[in-house]
Amino acid sequence: MKITVRAFADYREFIGKEMELVVPEEKTIGELLAEIGDRYPKLRSEMFTPTGELKDFINIFINGRNIAFLKDMATPLTDGDIIALFPPVAGG
Amino acid sequence: MGGYDLDRYQRQITLLSEEGQKSLRRARVLVAGVGGLGTIVAAYLAAAGVGFLRLADNDRVEISNLNRQLLFQPDDIGREKAVAATEKLHNLNPEIQIEGINKTIDDETTDELIKDVDLIVDALDNFTTRFILNSVAFTRRLPLIHGAVRGFFGQATTLIPGKTACLKCIFAQSPPREIFSIFGGTCGVIGAVQATEAVKVLTGRGEPLANRLFFWDGQAGEGTITVTKRNPHCVVCGGD
Repeated sequence: MKITVRAFADYREFIGKEMELVVPEEKTIGELLAEIGDRYPKLRSEMFTPTGELKDFINIFINGRNIAFLKDMATPLTDGDIIALFPPVAGG
Repeated sequence: MGGYDLDRYQRQITLLSEEGQKSLRRARVLVAGVGGLGTIVAAYLAAAGVGFLRLADNDRVEISNLNRQLLFQPDDIGREKAVAATEKLHNLNPEIQIEGINKTIDDETTDELIKDVDLIVDALDNFTTRFILNSVAFTRRLPLIHGAVRGFFGQATTLIPGKTACLKCIFAQSPPREIFSIFGGTCGVIGAVQATEAVKVLTGRGEPLANRLFFWDGQAGEGTITVTKRNPHCVVCGGD
């Protein structure tokens, strides 16, 4: 299945603006991010704690829904999903 | 509408119509936070003739604010932001009513701050307070114009109870408070987007950023839209 990953703000420095990936069926967002992290260690250290947990203020959207309100890292991916990775932007 | 208003707002009445201008004159808006975003939004809304602005912030002007908070000058250092901004905006537009409230925005004060407004502008600097404001805005069915900035990056979206995702549908957690880097131009971009959204919602013109998160990347010189969706199990709006 085809998955599009869009990076925003600082994350673009690590993986570029957008990548299209062809991945096997029955993959979760957590598995996909782990694979991307293996390819881009700087992104991994920005997004994950040293013990491999996603930092809890990072926003990952699948088709506009924050995975924190889906099944978190166990959220299954489906063909055509668009994933957006946003670091926190909180100032005013 | 009198001759003064027709002259003063001539260049936007051609966009908004006289009726639209009257809607702005009748409108009451809370600008929550009078920092990098709040000073910009409030200046545009005052200049556009929004009839009542309440500016809420409990900080005082510091020298490090001056790279972006364009209502303040070196003479203002040490003054209450809400008071100093009210004074500057009164000079900008003496025909409108401006109320500066030097208070922390929290569970205790929010009801009072929003009691008689039609719209809220989120120009805050942290998500803990944003989530408080989001809950109250939802309960009172008030549109909330979200904006946030860091460095060369910024985001904005318009939250309309019953029609769009609320802030808690989109963002899960409060990032830790930090002294963040910020370029004034980023506040200019996002503050101007927020002011535009407020005017659109108040006059019914255009297409608001409803269920759309505008993200500005000043480094790349690029704005993008990410479609957002309600969370049917949202603890605040329950997808309502």
